[in-house]
Amino acid sequence: MFLLAWRQVLLDPLRTVLTAVALGSVIAVILILVGFEQGQYYQLKQIVLNRKADLIVTQAGVSNFIAVRSSIPQLARAEVEAVKGVINAHPVTAIPVIYNRNNVRTPVYVLVYDTWGGPSSIIQGREITSGKEIVIDASLAKKYGINPGDSFYVTDFEFKVVGITQEAAFMMPFAFINYDGMLDLFIESEIAPDLSTFPLLSYMLVELDPAADRQSVARQIELHVPSVDVITPGQLAQNDVNMGKVFFKPIMGLLVSIGYIIGMLVVGLIMYADIRARIKSFAVLKALGFSFGRLFLVVLIQSSLLLVITIPIGTLLALGVSVFIETMSPAYFIRLFDPVIFLQTLMTFFVFAVIGALIPVRTIQRTDPMLAFQDI
Amino acid sequence: MFKWTWKSLSSQRGTLAGSALGIAFTFILVIFFDAVWRGESVQIVSYPDHVKPDVWVMQSGVGNMHMAMSFVWDWKADQIAKMPGVKRVTPILYMTSVVSAGKHRMFAFIVGLLPDAKRAGPWKLTAGRHIGNPQEAVIPDVFSKITGIGIGDQLRIVDKSFTVVGLSSGTYSSANSVLFVPFADLEEILSSSGTYSYLLVDAKEGTDPNDLAKRIRDQVEKVNALTQKEFVSNDLSMAKQMGVGIIVIMTAICSALAALIVGFTSYSLVIRRRREIAIIKALGIGNDKILISVIVQSGILTFIGFIMAMLFALFVMPAVPLLLPQLTLAVSTPALFQIGLIALVVAVLGALIPAWFVSRLDPATAFHI
Repeated sequence: MFLLAWRQVLLDPLRTVLTAVALGSVIAVILILVGFEQGQYYQLKQIVLNRKADLIVTQAGVSNFIAVRSSIPQLARAEVEAVKGVINAHPVTAIPVIYNRNNVRTPVYVLVYDTWGGPSSIIQGREITSGKEIVIDASLAKKYGINPGDSFYVTDFEFKVVGITQEAAFMMPFAFINYDGMLDLFIESEIAPDLSTFPLLSYMLVELDPAADRQSVARQIELHVPSVDVITPGQLAQNDVNMGKVFFKPIMGLLVSIGYIIGMLVVGLIMYADIRARIKSFAVLKALGFSFGRLFLVVLIQSSLLLVITIPIGTLLALGVSVFIETMSPAYFIRLFDPVIFLQTLMTFFVFAVIGALIPVRTIQRTDPMLAFQDI
Repeated sequence: MFKWTWKSLSSQRGTLAGSALGIAFTFILVIFFDAVWRGESVQIVSYPDHVKPDVWVMQSGVGNMHMAMSFVWDWKADQIAKMPGVKRVTPILYMTSVVSAGKHRMFAFIVGLLPDAKRAGPWKLTAGRHIGNPQEAVIPDVFSKITGIGIGDQLRIVDKSFTVVGLSSGTYSSANSVLFVPFADLEEILSSSGTYSYLLVDAKEGTDPNDLAKRIRDQVEKVNALTQKEFVSNDLSMAKQMGVGIIVIMTAICSALAALIVGFTSYSLVIRRRREIAIIKALGIGNDKILISVIVQSGILTFIGFIMAMLFALFVMPAVPLLLPQLTLAVSTPALFQIGLIALVVAVLGALIPAWFVSRLDPATAFHI
């Protein structure tokens, strides 16, 4: 049975190549859609985890990092550092700004840091050493053609780009400045009529004594500093991922479902065309006493063989396209190879494809063995 | 030749239907992707688009609302209110945050309204009433439908609790829903006083909004003033830009896939009829006519797929939000035309391989048994 199915696959090489590329493209489309969704979650997670804190302090009631406003009273820093087990509470401030050049606007999340929380993946240039300097995400640099050494205006304040990092989340590039830069930005530019209205301290990245118990210190901080909440980086990252899912899940779920339907139809079409083309061969096999079950098995093996051939093609195609997407638009990250999701996607595709392969099987069932003796 | 093409296609109804459906779904994927992005972009400007003041006033350096932060001193609102041509100034406070209600969370634009500022509030209530007391909120009706959070229920914004008193229509978006709360409560959350985020300026009849915006920019220190059209356009173009790259790439991939399906189907049909084609060639019909027939075949397939996709976009897609209310889909005519153009390219590309096969087919094949 296997041999028969295999020989069918090899019968017309051009057709098999076309089939493999068509099926591979369907797999690639599905993998890219799933990878796009997973990439968003991954970026949301990493942007928190890359701040490398043992615990993260937020404004009381705030349990997210992205796209929320957290404002902690500045005095709270000393109170947090006074808790036993805390070595340092490194301040971080998040300021959403709209970068505008030549009327092309992009929302940018500016992270202000002092000692911890700076850019974690600099790919060009260096870290900030003065208040006039800024490190920006690669997507922003690519979109506006900015290189290290160029000016970067936030409202009317001029920063000098000294580094390019790879940090974006929720399709939003990040930029990094230090506190001198933030104060200069607020004071020298026209941004703030009243500094008190701006969050000067959004989060604290807590550095713990290695011997300290994380949960216990978190409880102590919340007990002694009522204006804040304490969250582990993992939990904060998960909260952001969950928020991301609220946005992406329904959309991407539907798009991926359409992808599976396309896969099912393409496999069905391929098998139908194949069966129609070989209808006489099937009639001969029926006349020779092959049962419908065995012929059905041939179709099933043949479609499975096709899928086995096309999965690597599809994966390679998806990899190529994802590299292209990330090069063209670095704000998007296509996460293809999350092992669980990858296998889950391929398995689901396999199931849909097998269902598709079964669609034309009725044609074989209806084939009259007499057809084998006609028109010879 | 055309008759022969049509006959060879219609004799393979299963193949025709399968491939047309496959092509249709690849087009649907592109249309859907575009519609989702466009829908979300449109929803992002839903608030400014509906409250429609003549001029928006904000902090200098700010030119939009989505993801922006703006603070304007309260006395500047009084100054603008006294300017000639100004009918009314309605200040709002604004922030983006995560709203939690039970186990549900959503990103939201939160608009803080002064007691007499209904003009900047929800434009259509489907249940309940406008906010009137402290710690009351009006939430999107879709959010209520999805989560079951309704009138009388509690929700939290940062560390403050609010009671839902009304459900508004047209304010939900997966990216940013619009919630309305009392100004004083939002002021407390923001730890701000004496400042507004945006001023909605209504002009007196006969006043040119462009002229008024310019006068405000010139006469009021450190503010930006934009007409409604400019303000909405800034937000809309920014939202659209964020998705342009991925939409273009997805369109390219899906179009390539559609071309492959067309190519596969045309090639299969040509292979099945190779003896007929060989006979036609042996009878002296030129390659050009046969090639045209192959292109017509691809064209018919693509056209049927395109029509199916259009029917889906026009009749099925509008019903999708009934099943998934959190989705806002905006099918645009330019996007459909774009798919039409892509379909043309797909048909030609899909015909290339079978055309190549046909051109190499030996007429002697007609006499092989």
